[in-house]
Amino acid sequence: MVGLPFDCLSNPLGAVRVTFERAIASGSDPASFDGKDWGVIDVLRECLFDQGALTQVPILDHQSIGWIQPNSLVRFRGMVQDMLGNEFYVGAFKDDSMWRTNKFADVASFPMGSSSENRIWERRLLHCVPVPGQSSWSMQSSSESVISRSKKWMSQHGEKRLREDDAESYSMAPGDEMQESPPGCKKMREGDCHSPLLHEAVAEASSSKSSIEFDTDSNCFSCLVKVYDTMESDVKLNDVFEFIGVFTYNPELMIQMDESDEVPHDLYEESLVHLPPNKVPRLHCFIQRKLAVHDFIHNSPVTEPVPHVIRGAREGLLDHLRSVLGNDCVAAQCVLLHLLSRVHGRVDSAALGKLSLNLTGFSRESISVFGNQLRNATQSLLPFTQSFPLTVEYLNSMSLAPRKDYKTNRLVTGVLQMAEGTHLTIDETQLDSGILNSTGVSNTRLLKNLLECQKVEYDFEYYKMEMPADVQLLILSDGKSNILPADLVLPFQPSAVSPSMNISPEALQTWRWYLSSVRSLSHDIDPEMQKVLEDDLVAARQEDRSLGSQDFSRLLTMARLISVSFGETRLSFDHWQMAKELERLRKERLKQ
Amino acid sequence: MAKQVDFAAEKALARDFLSNFADANGEAKYFNIIQDVANRKLRSVQIELEDLFNYKDLDEEFLRRVTENTKRYLVVFADAIDELMPEQTEAFQDDDHDILMTQRSEDASENTEGSDPFQKMPSEIKRFYEVYIKASSKERPFTIREVKASYIGQLVRISGIVTRCSDVKPLMKVAIYTCEECGFEIYQEVTARVFMPLFECPSGRCVTNLTKGNLILQLRASKFMKFQEAKIQELAEHVPKGHIPRTMTVHLRGELTRTVAPGDVVELSGIFLPIPYTGFRAMRAGLVADTYLEAMSVTHFKKKYEDYNLEKDEEEQLARLAEDGDIYNKLARSLAPEIFGHEDVKKALLLLLVGAPHRKLKDGMKIRGDLHVCLMGDPGVAKSQLLKHIINVAPRGVYTTGRGSSGVGLTAAVQKDPVTNEMVLEGGALVLADMGICAIDEFDKMDESDRTAIHEVMEQQTVSIAKAGITTSLNARTAVLAAANPAWGRYDMRRTPAENINLPPALLSRFDLLWLILDRADMDSDLEMARHVVYVHQNKESPALGFTPLEPSVLRAYISRARKISPHVPKELEEYIASAYSTIRQDEAKSNAPHSYTTVRTLLSILRISAALARLRFSETVAQSDVDEALRLMQMSKFSLYSEDRQRSGLDAISDIYSILRDEAARMNKIDISYANALNWISRKGYSEAQLKECLEEYASLNVWQIHPNTFDIHVS
Repeated sequence: MVGLPFDCLSNPLGAVRVTFERAIASGSDPASFDGKDWGVIDVLRECLFDQGALTQVPILDHQSIGWIQPNSLVRFRGMVQDMLGNEFYVGAFKDDSMWRTNKFADVASFPMGSSSENRIWERRLLHCVPVPGQSSWSMQSSSESVISRSKKWMSQHGEKRLREDDAESYSMAPGDEMQESPPGCKKMREGDCHSPLLHEAVAEASSSKSSIEFDTDSNCFSCLVKVYDTMESDVKLNDVFEFIGVFTYNPELMIQMDESDEVPHDLYEESLVHLPPNKVPRLHCFIQRKLAVHDFIHNSPVTEPVPHVIRGAREGLLDHLRSVLGNDCVAAQCVLLHLLSRVHGRVDSAALGKLSLNLTGFSRESISVFGNQLRNATQSLLPFTQSFPLTVEYLNSMSLAPRKDYKTNRLVTGVLQMAEGTHLTIDETQLDSGILNSTGVSNTRLLKNLLECQKVEYDFEYYKMEMPADVQLLILSDGKSNILPADLVLPFQPSAVSPSMNISPEALQTWRWYLSSVRSLSHDIDPEMQKVLEDDLVAARQEDRSLGSQDFSRLLTMARLISVSFGETRLSFDHWQMAKELERLRKERLKQ
Repeated sequence: MAKQVDFAAEKALARDFLSNFADANGEAKYFNIIQDVANRKLRSVQIELEDLFNYKDLDEEFLRRVTENTKRYLVVFADAIDELMPEQTEAFQDDDHDILMTQRSEDASENTEGSDPFQKMPSEIKRFYEVYIKASSKERPFTIREVKASYIGQLVRISGIVTRCSDVKPLMKVAIYTCEECGFEIYQEVTARVFMPLFECPSGRCVTNLTKGNLILQLRASKFMKFQEAKIQELAEHVPKGHIPRTMTVHLRGELTRTVAPGDVVELSGIFLPIPYTGFRAMRAGLVADTYLEAMSVTHFKKKYEDYNLEKDEEEQLARLAEDGDIYNKLARSLAPEIFGHEDVKKALLLLLVGAPHRKLKDGMKIRGDLHVCLMGDPGVAKSQLLKHIINVAPRGVYTTGRGSSGVGLTAAVQKDPVTNEMVLEGGALVLADMGICAIDEFDKMDESDRTAIHEVMEQQTVSIAKAGITTSLNARTAVLAAANPAWGRYDMRRTPAENINLPPALLSRFDLLWLILDRADMDSDLEMARHVVYVHQNKESPALGFTPLEPSVLRAYISRARKISPHVPKELEEYIASAYSTIRQDEAKSNAPHSYTTVRTLLSILRISAALARLRFSETVAQSDVDEALRLMQMSKFSLYSEDRQRSGLDAISDIYSILRDEAARMNKIDISYANALNWISRKGYSEAQLKECLEEYASLNVWQIHPNTFDIHVS
């Protein structure tokens, strides 16, 4: 496209090859750079970000997998569900006198003689899934233009590729090598589309019978991402990332997997066997970036958080929540604070900033009205929402915590493996008396631990590992929930059932933007204000001995969230008063 | 990159080392081992890299080559050992293998044309020992995560937990065939896990005669090796936050098989190798390499104090700490540093960790050395955190709750094994904590059956069981750390401590120290708390402690060092302790409402605590100061329960007045008390009339007594 000898989008491996050869030609030794980047990332960055080609990159999902060409550049948005460890591969090898690289590829592009000098590099394998509970509005799919472009590319691409391949395969001198190398190598080369004739056949095959090749369905679409050159601390479990890289598909690798049973490996079933390439696409990642909530809101209406816009959005959202909650003003305020909460720090075992909410006073009838309304409202406001009813059978049968399966060497996901910032609604009104078995007991313990510490224990059989979580928990129950002790307990008192309202998409967009941008604001307390807070807290405790450090902590969190909801970054006296007032109203209701 | 290594020269170096190495005692270590191997007493030669390092004629380059290309040097060393192998000096029974070998060597001498490589006997088949090279244990072992591509082919030391083990299977080392045509034995060395069998006889005779001799694999003659595969996983403490533990495949051969079981925490030294792909996989062999660790040695981690090995620098650090006069306070403060205050409680917990030596008398009677401590207190005073912290510090600790333990409970249970249908004995928390610490939270909510069993554990330190035909007694030499809530959830100031502590005296007397932690209502502590919460919210970290707590690892090392000492009580102190004990007894006899029952158990407690204090000083004898501190701690523990100033505090005036009235009424054996009398009694104790009135009203509303509406006379119902 732009004077480069290759097309970054459709042939990123070409870019890899060209830059590699350039680096070698300029005198660097493959042994010295040890798998580090040799400039290909910069080329891609320039192409994608500086020249704005990013939007042209198709997004890999269960629909697009049908038409995306193997070895082309794709994007994948998902959560890191499992880490499969490191993979060692021959990163560079000497083919006669030329150094070649296998970075960003599943199979060697050139046959490798067994004696050839080679360098072993490593890459990390991540098993990624679409973010659990992602709302449909936050899904981004490839734009129309990308699709049509790709279709067009497919139709003309035989011709185009032919020219490219001619250029690339000069050095290969196919006839001679064919004799030396075992027959498998020939096949490998064909797989990588280097023999022009066969390439066309493969391309045609992949476009005609794509539905057969990829046996994926939308519920369990996942992707095996291979990342290079990253610090280990950059990518963590349950992080939401966008990976930009090469999508590879090599059918002959799959055949190998099937036939690997011939060799009896007792413990040697690699985890990859359970992720066949026709179910789980491979993605060799060039660039990854961590996504925050606001990355999921498209064409956000406002860019600058201007005070009056924030106030306006706050009023609008509060009104909306009030009508959802049957005109209960206090509940609407609490829900707003609850939706804004996030864990912003951890001290010892306590998570700061969490504000789980327990709305009590729901009966089985009112839950069907208000519960559903509330669920719909959160779903339309937040990108990741989940909900489940708390019943005895559910607790006894579901595995909530992720668990390591040593037979397959995989982390089996559980309901509580959630991305940061997920909203979880638990409906306790369905709970009947019954007997919990050991699974049920451990599940309730997990939920309680999640509420109190924002941590989930993952079961590794020989030991448990606590993984930090950041989940907004909303509990709907009849009386105060004892199983799930929330930070904020509020009896819900609706006064009117409002008819289903129509909200303009623009308003929704504004609120989404409001929630995501206000939520990430930093917040501070001035020393003078700290003194006021301390005195007020001591006075409160002198009055009511039952107040503990947790109550103090909750009050401070509420004050912070109120202040933040106005877009302020410093706690003011007024907002502190508002927090105390809200707490007083709440206490009053509890007494009734 | 590397110049060609002359392996013949390397073998000479190896030979030289093996024959000349002398250990610290001047013994020819490896020569003796090889002699033992020749005599068939040993089946393996373990070469320690550390010895190579300490070898007087050390060639550093040679050491480096051995570390970086260990697999190759195993063969070098084996060849060197073959050459050194002396004649056996002791007679032993020839087994099948030897008979076969003798026969073969006779054959070989007959058959002088043995130039054919397939007919030449591989040296492997003659070996009846295995060679291992063990990595130096000087440096910290790697975690699985740290073993990178650059370590391929090298000797590494890794720690991890075993998660899976395969069955032990035979692995062919040398395949032996006989040819149907020429009758020769054909040898094929197998180096990989899979091999391609020979079908045609390659011997000179068959080849020249152009007869395609059929080969028959001789399983009995072939050499096999025991082979086991295992998976190890990173230990929880080595996994960075937000990551998943990594796993690694380990191959165990020969003598190392069956040394690990799932769940074992082990330290392995081994060679990190890529797996040679076979068959169809070989085609992409160059692309992705699976790796494994060829185990060279297996060391199990022991989590007992007794097995705690001190590193040299640790030893020095401890010595420096011990010289510090304030070590007792420093150690105590370093326990759960995030929990504010409670210094004496922490001291008690420190002593619990240290314990006193066990005594076994000549007549076989045992006196326990473990200290038992019970913490009682209001909810939310960080009892559970204290317990959990202690468990973290203790190398072997079990945390359980009185109710939370499974069917096995705290003691032990007989259960049917689901696989074999046999009755098996399964230990509960107390048995699992043998030689360690068992922290029992919610002690008051314990099952009745466990509570009775715990009596035995706490004094005899065994668990006896007689169920389903199994009668046995299990060791439970554990220090019990219990936490309990008061009888009514919160401590009720108006009732006696005995009423609040909802535990039978028989159980209570077994605790050496009993602490009451109360949530006191005073302005200062409230302000402290408010400040803390505000600070934490503002700065997202705990306020500075004003001192640097010792690391748990240092704490653990110090305690394990202290536990090795067994202090004794010198003659001159015996008198002192005896008199102190008798004074306590006297005081108790004098006071009209004894708070506690001082028994011989109390005396033993004093001795135990004093011994633990002496251990902390790394001293072999108990000093008078230790005894004084022990007495002080016991006194403090009593004060926490019966503190006089609490009774004097404004809040407690009412209940104190009540107890005065009740006691006086009981003394005079009356159920009616006149108001005048009551006023008289309480004013002697320094209470006012208003307080008396308040008390009368309050207890009347509780129906404890009736008040005459006019005279205010009291009728105790």
